[in-house]
Order: sequence, then C-alpha cells, then structure tokens
Amino acid sequence: MRLGRIIAKAVLAFAGFVAVFPLLWTALNSLKNSVDIITRVPRLVFTPTLANISYILGRDSVITGLYNSVVACGTAVLIGVVLGLPAAYAVARYPNRWAGDIQFFVLSLRFLPPVAVAIPLMVIWLQLGLYDTLPALIVTYSLLTISVIMWLAIPAFQGVPKEIEEAAFVDGYGAYAVFWRIALPVAARSLIGAVAFSFVLVWNEFLIALMLSSSNAKTLPIVASELSQQGMNVPWGILNASVVLLSLPPLLFLGVLSGFLNSVFRQKKT
Amino acid sequence: MSAIVCSHVDKAYGATTVIRDLNLSIEEHEFIVFLGPSGCGKSTLLRMLAGLEDISGGKVSIGGKVVNDLDPGDRGIAMVFQNYALYPHMSIFDNIAFGLRRQKVPAPEIRKRVEAVSRTLGLDPYLGRKPAELSGGQQQRVAIARAMIKTPKVFLFDEPLSNLDAKLRNHMRVEIARLHQSLKTTTVYVTHDQLEAMTLADRIVLLKDGIIEQIGSPAEIYGRPRNMFVAGFIGTPNMNFVDVTVGRAGNRWTLTGAGTVLSIDGAGFHLQPGDRAVLGIRPPDLKTAGAGAAGLLQGTADLIEFHGNDALVTFGSGGKEISALVPARDCPVLHAPVRFTFEENDIHLFDATSGASLRRQ
Repeated sequence: MRLGRIIAKAVLAFAGFVAVFPLLWTALNSLKNSVDIITRVPRLVFTPTLANISYILGRDSVITGLYNSVVACGTAVLIGVVLGLPAAYAVARYPNRWAGDIQFFVLSLRFLPPVAVAIPLMVIWLQLGLYDTLPALIVTYSLLTISVIMWLAIPAFQGVPKEIEEAAFVDGYGAYAVFWRIALPVAARSLIGAVAFSFVLVWNEFLIALMLSSSNAKTLPIVASELSQQGMNVPWGILNASVVLLSLPPLLFLGVLSGFLNSVFRQKKT
Repeated sequence: MSAIVCSHVDKAYGATTVIRDLNLSIEEHEFIVFLGPSGCGKSTLLRMLAGLEDISGGKVSIGGKVVNDLDPGDRGIAMVFQNYALYPHMSIFDNIAFGLRRQKVPAPEIRKRVEAVSRTLGLDPYLGRKPAELSGGQQQRVAIARAMIKTPKVFLFDEPLSNLDAKLRNHMRVEIARLHQSLKTTTVYVTHDQLEAMTLADRIVLLKDGIIEQIGSPAEIYGRPRNMFVAGFIGTPNMNFVDVTVGRAGNRWTLTGAGTVLSIDGAGFHLQPGDRAVLGIRPPDLKTAGAGAAGLLQGTADLIEFHGNDALVTFGSGGKEISALVPARDCPVLHAPVRFTFEENDIHLFDATSGASLRRQ
C-alpha cells in the first residue's frame, strides 16, 4: 500500500517532469548565447542574455505577425463565442429534427485535412480580392472557432440539469433570460475550456495562414517559421525566444479567462 | 371555487398516450397527493399543471383561468423539484430572491421577504452560502423557501423527499405538513411513497397508466378500495388476495378457496352464486382465532418477520401464502399450526375478471 503510493507519486512526478521540462528548457535557451546552447554538455548555469528576445521584439515582421495573430484569433474567437454558444444551446435544449445533422455537420468541418480546404479557400479569397488580408483570415478562422466551440459547448449545455432551467421558467423567466442567467453561468467552467481550446487551435494554426497570406496578413507562426530559414546556421536562441513569444498569448488568454471565471463564481455580497 | 380543474386532459408523446381523458377538480386549500407506481403519469400530470409539459388535449384551469397556453411564470404556481434544482452559481439569498427580482419587487422588500421566509424555515445562517455548501435537507428547505416566497396560488411538489435519507424524510414530511397547516396554500404533491401520501394528503389521487384509479381521502382509499389495484397498492404489509368461488348456503354466502370454506352474511356485497371472486384481507385484520371458532384461515406458520410491536406471520393455506400481522407477544413459534379469523366488515371482495370491488356503495 505504502509502496504503491510512493510508486504512484514517482510516476506522477516523472510525467510532470516530462511535460514541463521542455517548456522550461525552451525558456532557458531563449536567455542563452548560442555558445551556451550548442555545447555538448547542457548548461544549467550560464550568463543570461536578452539579446535573443530583443532581436525578436525589434523586428517589424514579428511585431506585425503578433498584431495579425492577436487580431485574427481574437476576433475569430469572439465571433465563435457570439455565434457558437447560442447555437450550441439551441441544439442542446431545443433539439429539432435537424439537430443531429447540425451536430454532424459541425463535426465534419474538422474531418477534412486543412490542405484540402486551404487551396479552395485561397482561390475564393483571391477571387474576392481579399487574399492576404485580415478579414479573410478572420472569416476562415471563425469557421474553425464556431465549429469547435459548438462541438464542445453542446455537451456542456446538456450537462446543465434541466430542472434548474425549469425552476427558472417557473420563477417567471423566459428562454433568453434562462440562457443568460442560468445556462451560461452554470456551464461556464466547461465553456471557458471550449473557448480557450478554440483560441489555442487558431493561434497555433499554420497551414491555412500560410496559404492565405503572402506579406500583409502573416501571423506569428508563419513569421516564426521564417526565422529558421536564415541559412545554414540555425539561430537556436532566436527560435527559442520566438517560441516563448508564441506561447505567452495563449497563457495570458487562459489567465484572463480563468480570472473572469473566478469573478463569476465569487460570492456576491448582497 | 376550485383551485385547479382538469377536464378531459390528455397527454401523448407521439403515438404513446401517457394520460387519457383525465378529469380532476382540486379545491382551494386542499392538499392533494398524486400517488402511483413509476411510469403512471403522475409527474407528467404535475408538470402539465406547472406548464413544463404541453397539454395534448383537454383544458387545465388554475384559479378559474384556463392556463393551457400560459407560461409557467404566469400560472401563479411555484414548484419544488425532486433534486432541489437550486441555482448552483447563486447564493442562497439570490436563489430565494430570483423569482421576486423577475417580478420587479423593490430591493428592500425582497430583503424583508427573504428574511421572513428564511426565518420560518431556519435558513438565516446560510443566506450567504452557495447551494453546494448545504446538506440535502437544507437544500430542499431552500427549494421550499424559493417556492413559498412567491406566495403562489398553488404549490407543486415533485417527489420532494425521495433524495433524502429516511430519518430526514420523516422530519421534512412533518415540516411540509406544518407548513401547509399555517399557509393553507393549495398543494399538489407527487410521490410514490404511500406513507407520505397517507400522512400528508387531504385527498389522494391514485394513478395507474395515466388513468385515475381512485380519488379519495386516505381513509377511503385504505378502507374502501374501489378495485384490486388500489387495494394491493395501498397498505403495508400488502393485502392478502385469495381466489374464491361464491356459493349460497341457507341465507348466508359461502366463499370457497384456499383449502377452506368461509361463511359470510354478504349483505354488503353484490354476490351471485357461482361467481368467481377474489377475497382481500389486510394482514392486521386477521385475528388469532380461539378454539372452536368457525370460518377459519389456517395453516402452518412458515415465516415469521419480527417488526417490533408486531410480527408478520406467513402461512400456507390451500397452496396460498397468507400473511397476518399479530401482536409480537402473541406470536406463534415457527412451524406451529396457526388459525385466524376476521370481522366481515374488514374484508374486501373483488370481481375476479374486472378486479372491481363488489362492495355495495
């Protein structure tokens, strides 16, 4: 019994280490000079430098990419929330004979490999004269966020006990009020997860962004990938710094969301 | 004026009819219990009164107003759900006040009324807490407070005590009874627990397969069941049923079955010689017979269940298991011969085919 617990804890610690160490190492490497990175024996003690980070932040392409990513992903997630959550609630609570088909359609948007849709999308946006613009990227990403948010929010809304909503009906509230004041806050925990997941999905999205942008609308992942194409000498420190920069917004986003979640659930003074 | 009137009410889900041509009139201040086995439509009927289920046919009126097409909030009802259905993200205060806020009651009055109601139900210490921080009994009390505060015309309870443990259930049952005594609000209460029904109800509506089997006071339902289903459903331990053949002997009637011939006066029943009937007799109505008594049910005690004050003696008579509830001090020993007699007033006779009571009304 005791031994079992020790082994379980050891396994847990190992799994935690496996998950966290690469991130930590990346963060450390972003602060190292190239010499310290390419040594045969990994160095834990070194003279930190901010050169990589300042190089990254000093490049216009990175700043533009960051701006594009934030605007495109932020707007797409917002659209996904505004359209996806009510749609999911409607499917969950007021199923009609198309509810199953709608659910399947939404899921099917994720069946095709992005390559298959990327080229048609590129042609469509070229024809419309919106190729390489943020609106094109936002609309395309909204398709992803709406489908992901819907797909994850339907079970979240179904998980809200029906009686709670019925109690609100008996208390005199209408369907919209029940959605806003009961279903949304009660399902909030799962919904936050859905929203965060959809954000991370489009934030990391590479292929569609690559196909839909050539210069103006490049997102951060595209810009970061270009950093490694600078000849034979791979700039490891700069790459690591760009990875850190890429990882920060989703973390911030999650932080803001969970903060919002806490404020929703904090005891209200009456 | 009747508080609730259902006339020719039907409920169907697609091709399945759940409630069929139901007529019911509930008086003001009455405590009505819908009782029946699961799937009998009692909860559906309650939810139709609440407006949570559509009414497929017929008319329901509450307080003299037809409510078929009214939203739940406009029916003047309040409901307590089986799983409490408290709003988990709100404090107890907000849970209770939620309905009043909808009615645009001014905040100071809301505060006053919430405090008054929570005092009645002993909830004042918990007003700032969330539902998850309360015990099951306290949560149910919050649900009752939430219903009470709206001063509705009708209270609807949907199996409110089935999620509580036995001890708490007794306690809450008494509380609900007291509450009804002081508020006198018309109440419709759904349960499958006959003890709750018997102790709380002014009248019980006994349902089976969406049809009312009998409406009556607990005493009527227990003492004058209209058919075998009612007789068998009500009363613990269950009524004994013995198949008998009716015969005539002189100016008395005989009931032959279970290896014995019983002689009764039979004036209270519609009887025909040669009829096949079912004799129903409740275990507490069987009395230990003295020596020389006639018209006996007898056999060998093959199971004795000790209940405390009483003991339930089960014996075989003519291949039929019969149970008798006897005072524990008179309890026979296992495998001893037992003999029981009864008062003719306490027996029930049912038609063997239709199950309807043969008692003269």
